[in-house]
Amino acid sequence: MDQLYRPQPGTPLEDLDTPCLILDMDSLDHNMDVMAEFYEGRHSKLRGHSKNHKTPAIALRQIRRGGTVGGVCAAKVAEAEVMVHGGVPSVFVTSEVVDPAKIDRLCALANQAEILVACDSQENARNISRAASAQGVEVGIVIEQETGLVRCGVQEVEPGVALAKLVDALPGLVFKGIMSHQMMSEPSSDREDRATEAHRLIQPVLDLREAVLAAGLPVEIVSTGETWSYDVAGEMPEVTEVQGGSYLVMETGYEYMPDFQFAGKILSTIVSAPKPGVAIGDAGARAVGGLKGLPRVEGRPGVEAVDMDTDRTVFHVEDGVQLGIGDQVTLIPGQQDAMVSRWDRFIGIRNGVVEVVWDIQARGCHN
Amino acid sequence: MERPIFQPVGTPVEELDTPALVVDLGVVERNISTFHNAFRGTGYGAEPANAGAQVRPHVSCHGCPEIARLQLAADNGIVCAPDSNLGGIAVGSLGEAEVFAGAGFDSIVIADRIVTPGKIRRLLALARQVSVTVTVDDANNVHLISEAAVDAESSLDVLVEVDIGRGFGGVTSGPSALELARAVHQAPALRFQGISGDEGPVSTTDASEREAETRRRLQPLLDTLSLLEGAGIGVSAICSGNTTNYEVVAGIPGITEVLAGIYPLMDMQTLAVRPELEPAAKVLATVISHPVPERAVVDAGHKTMGPDFGVPTLAGVPGAIATRFSAEHGILELDGSAREQLAPNDKVSLIPFNLALCVNQFDYFRAVRNGRLVGYWPIATRGRLD
Repeated sequence: MDQLYRPQPGTPLEDLDTPCLILDMDSLDHNMDVMAEFYEGRHSKLRGHSKNHKTPAIALRQIRRGGTVGGVCAAKVAEAEVMVHGGVPSVFVTSEVVDPAKIDRLCALANQAEILVACDSQENARNISRAASAQGVEVGIVIEQETGLVRCGVQEVEPGVALAKLVDALPGLVFKGIMSHQMMSEPSSDREDRATEAHRLIQPVLDLREAVLAAGLPVEIVSTGETWSYDVAGEMPEVTEVQGGSYLVMETGYEYMPDFQFAGKILSTIVSAPKPGVAIGDAGARAVGGLKGLPRVEGRPGVEAVDMDTDRTVFHVEDGVQLGIGDQVTLIPGQQDAMVSRWDRFIGIRNGVVEVVWDIQARGCHN
Repeated sequence: MERPIFQPVGTPVEELDTPALVVDLGVVERNISTFHNAFRGTGYGAEPANAGAQVRPHVSCHGCPEIARLQLAADNGIVCAPDSNLGGIAVGSLGEAEVFAGAGFDSIVIADRIVTPGKIRRLLALARQVSVTVTVDDANNVHLISEAAVDAESSLDVLVEVDIGRGFGGVTSGPSALELARAVHQAPALRFQGISGDEGPVSTTDASEREAETRRRLQPLLDTLSLLEGAGIGVSAICSGNTTNYEVVAGIPGITEVLAGIYPLMDMQTLAVRPELEPAAKVLATVISHPVPERAVVDAGHKTMGPDFGVPTLAGVPGAIATRFSAEHGILELDGSAREQLAPNDKVSLIPFNLALCVNQFDYFRAVRNGRLVGYWPIATRGRLD
């Protein structure tokens, strides 16, 4: 609802009203280039997840810089609508879409762009088929396989093959392939550790792929891997696309992936300094998110976040460190998408001034 | 921005597109009535001798002008005297104050410190339109606001925020607070109104414990009041209290305004302490996958529920509990009959743990009455943390 605050390009960082969501453009471009360079000339490609930034301008910027399939992932139909209307030519909705009205919206979108959707049940496949046939469109189906998140997805090879066969036979549907999403159980920067973990978690997807191929169906897409496994999943010969999203904005939770730099941050102002050693900032959980604990203070040694409520952060300030009312602090989030989804725009900063203001157009697009 | 699919007034709640933040107006009205009855006999028109504490709804946690209007229409405990600085509403940021002023509200307490030159200019511009009270806890800040008000040929009402133990700002109670109150009193273009203190939620269901704990926490504020009165400084407003201890604060002589916000809608965190109030705000979600008998997945994750400080509670499905929330998925663990009861495309309701963090994810309440849609009520302050 905040349609008001849109600083003029060239505005110095220190003149911004706070709290606000800022994006370090050098770091953003660096993170995009890491992906572009890794996937350029490789058999696998990036299909960046737009749920993390919800901003067509950012999706298109990565597509232009290279390394991608020329499309994005989206988590919700409404997000996919924003991406398609923003000019993205191919969108893969990585959540199951079961509500009939939402299935109709998904099919309507397939009139405008290539649409793929995750599916884990036969009944759902039949429902999408009916709607797609009625609208005279084709929807690409990617079977979701459960690989450790204990969430959605077919659990075993056999029902996966049966679902693939059904999808292949149903009108209005095109069987495209298989997807999975997984988390590293014990985060590690070590490439060998990550490769071992990625192979262990992704193996069921490869098994399902083999079985579907053996049943005589082509598997065009194997979509798996994410920020933590971009360079190891992307090397597996069977994997065709990787779904990374967190790499763009970054967070302390992904610090073990030092290829990527912290780009998205909250700019906050100290509004109270009630006693020596304590300062209170104007950003709390509603601004920066608190799902993975307290944010980290950037570039101010001796200043540490020690408590947070919905709209305040309490900082401990070491003896001898100057931090007074009106000073700005920059906060790095524990979890970037939980931060971004609370804001209506990114304020892109380069060399200490505003370079660009991007509306987070799919913010709030939960449906 | 949320992009709700149009659905006509009268749509049954279970047919709403999901995820949807639904507010049941019947429950809201019951909560307002229950809460404000504790303030019976106070408010505008009451005898000054028993004026007691009144409610100044703190609207930050719902950000919805329509809900604020229902609060201000309560039968008890609301002061809405024109040209007075009593009554009205409280907000958590200057941006929220601007939105509510634009929606026609007057007498707004900004329970926030306004410290940067740009925001002080905005504050003074707002003060030209409506009656605004700002809270301060620093002498230099008082000086800056006073100077800016003089320059702008304007004036401002000021409350001194006293830290009574929460540690999220405020001047130390006692002599430091007195000194700051004096500074406000003497500063050109500022009108010292009184003191405020946030004692935080009192987390007990035992009435006598609640009373004792509330009185213990508020004592530094009351001591500061005595100190100010002894020094000859007139104090017209003493603000404290919240939904967890409203009836106690209502009965403490000296407290004039209770800045409560959760009570119309409630959340799990506060329901645990105040069971006489009911949950009015719930997120309607759809089951999108039921991959194994013991687990179902719904389309409301942490980006809709805001579970930063606690997990939401699933309402009305015996044997099913909400356990985990990833970005877009909520995980329900199912036992017994719930395993057969829930199927893909079924709707469920989740009660947020922390109201403000859940409301922060939406742009509209789906207002319903008797199970049917009444309208889309804008969460007008969403994103206005500035």
